[in-house]
Amino acid sequence: MSQKDRRDFLLRIGSTAGMCAIGYQGAAALRSLVPNVSYDAPTTVKVGLPSEFPEGLKFLPDLRLFVFREGNVFHAISAVCTHLGCTVRAEALPAPETKTVDGKPLRLTHRFQCPCHGSRYAGDGSNVAGPAPQPLAWYHLAIAPDDGQLVADLALQVDHDFRLTL
Amino acid sequence: MRALKLPSLPPDQEPGAPGVHPRPLWSLRPKSDRQAGDAVVSNFMLHWFPAKVSRASLDWNYSFWLGTVSAALLLLLVVSGGPLLFLYVPSVERAYSSIKDIEFAVTFGSWIRSVHRFGAHLMVAAVFLHMARVFLTGAYKNGIGQGQRREFNWVLGVFMLLATLLLSFTGYLLPWDQLAFWAVTVGTNIASSIPLVGPQVRELLLGGRAIDQPTLIRFYVMHVIVLPGALGALFVYHMWRVRKDGGLARADRAGRLPAPVAAAPVATKTYTLLGVARGTSPAVTTNRLVDEEATVNAVPDLTRRAAIVVLGTFAVLSAMAVLMRSPLEEPANALVTPNPAKAPWYFLWLQEIVTDTTVHIGSFTINGAFIGGVVLPGLIVGLLTVWPWLDRSPREAAGAWFPQTRRAQNITFLILTLAILILTLVGTFCRGPYWHFYWPWETWPDIPTRL
Repeated sequence: MSQKDRRDFLLRIGSTAGMCAIGYQGAAALRSLVPNVSYDAPTTVKVGLPSEFPEGLKFLPDLRLFVFREGNVFHAISAVCTHLGCTVRAEALPAPETKTVDGKPLRLTHRFQCPCHGSRYAGDGSNVAGPAPQPLAWYHLAIAPDDGQLVADLALQVDHDFRLTL
Repeated sequence: MRALKLPSLPPDQEPGAPGVHPRPLWSLRPKSDRQAGDAVVSNFMLHWFPAKVSRASLDWNYSFWLGTVSAALLLLLVVSGGPLLFLYVPSVERAYSSIKDIEFAVTFGSWIRSVHRFGAHLMVAAVFLHMARVFLTGAYKNGIGQGQRREFNWVLGVFMLLATLLLSFTGYLLPWDQLAFWAVTVGTNIASSIPLVGPQVRELLLGGRAIDQPTLIRFYVMHVIVLPGALGALFVYHMWRVRKDGGLARADRAGRLPAPVAAAPVATKTYTLLGVARGTSPAVTTNRLVDEEATVNAVPDLTRRAAIVVLGTFAVLSAMAVLMRSPLEEPANALVTPNPAKAPWYFLWLQEIVTDTTVHIGSFTINGAFIGGVVLPGLIVGLLTVWPWLDRSPREAAGAWFPQTRRAQNITFLILTLAILILTLVGTFCRGPYWHFYWPWETWPDIPTRL
């Protein structure tokens, strides 16, 4: 091995090690920006006693959730537009209609429209016009065993035949 | 004024080494060509100028000085951002009220904020118009100089346009009002529509899953450190490339045209100073640039015009900021989306596109957010970036408005620009509640703001 080869070799090793060190430290610095702990609001939320819910629709703005009541039957539909995440608004239908959704009859009292890009949804959350790519999400409802409040689970999507019957 | 007593020279006699005895006023009123050249060499503020420039490239109606206008606006944005840095608090509890203080309690605060805000709007427009000028004059094409890389400088320019847009977008969130909150909701949801990595990208942008304090601080740091730093570096590089490429493309053009009267070849020094020719074989022998009338000293001819443009930009913006107030919407409210919720005007064409590009193929659906918000803008930026290499027009087409040989290209560019302009106008004037289409003279229906 000649003198020149050795120098060349050492130069390569040195510069490669330097690049690796800088690269790794850069990556480590950037990794610190990926959050490890989430301080997001909990996804399972008590929303009140069933008796507090009026017949028809109640909008829970901080959860961005519509809770529907038909006698003692409840279901919940998300108000988050599936296009780009704006909050859709409910509009009461002039006359309620009944539609079969996933094999179960559903009384539709409202329809939904998004203020950002004009997506429109039917009362069961299905997307009917505008850029929305999919229906509004339906979320799981349950009764809290301790105090009997309704519990909405915003992490658990359910099919459109889901009903909570008391 | 001077600490050192310099050896006194008779007024006409010039010192041997420029820069050793700097004289500030040379830059304003040089008495000879020599002094004009020395002014550039010895003045820190002027060192980035050439000693001589071609007269044609100074024409008002060639470049419209749009690059200078953009740079002047950038300078003003940095300067007006300074006081705002002291006054604004990047916290979700206090951001809105600190802006309100700036607007209503701080002396001249409203004016400073307006300078910053209108400056940002004007800069988006100026940078775009500068790009349009460069495109339409084919100024990204190389001419006669050696080692020219104008197409590379064009790519830098595209990145600078993107940096300008990102700066506007990040600045938008900071007041933490309704406009800000929902613009960021939509903007980051566009990112999350990217297949596979989208949600993670959004989480990284927001610093969590919801728009909250981590989001505000991220956008703030991007807005005041990262993006200005990036844009500053790009700007410096951009200007350096302009010098290395021999100034504006128009100067090359003059270098290619034969001299009106046959002139004796002169020393190559002029060409070197112009940056037109480097290396061992100056391609220019006798041409328009040799003509005494074709070139002028950068000091004071270039500096005077640059000063007019910069001060004019300052004056216009300052007057605008006095006459118009910057709006501030209601405080950010995650519970209520405004109806309609509109993006700032320079993003409205994108808002139109994401509205119209959801594709249903059978049961398979592609979200318009991805097509209109990621794919299409990506294609446009990609196309802009590679365009100089697609452009097969002859070198002679560079540095002139609407040359025959680039007609198709220029028309394509103008049609695309027109389409974007129309979409912007529709978004601005023709969209009402629920993004329904209304003519500007139609009244919007009354819609309750809350359920």
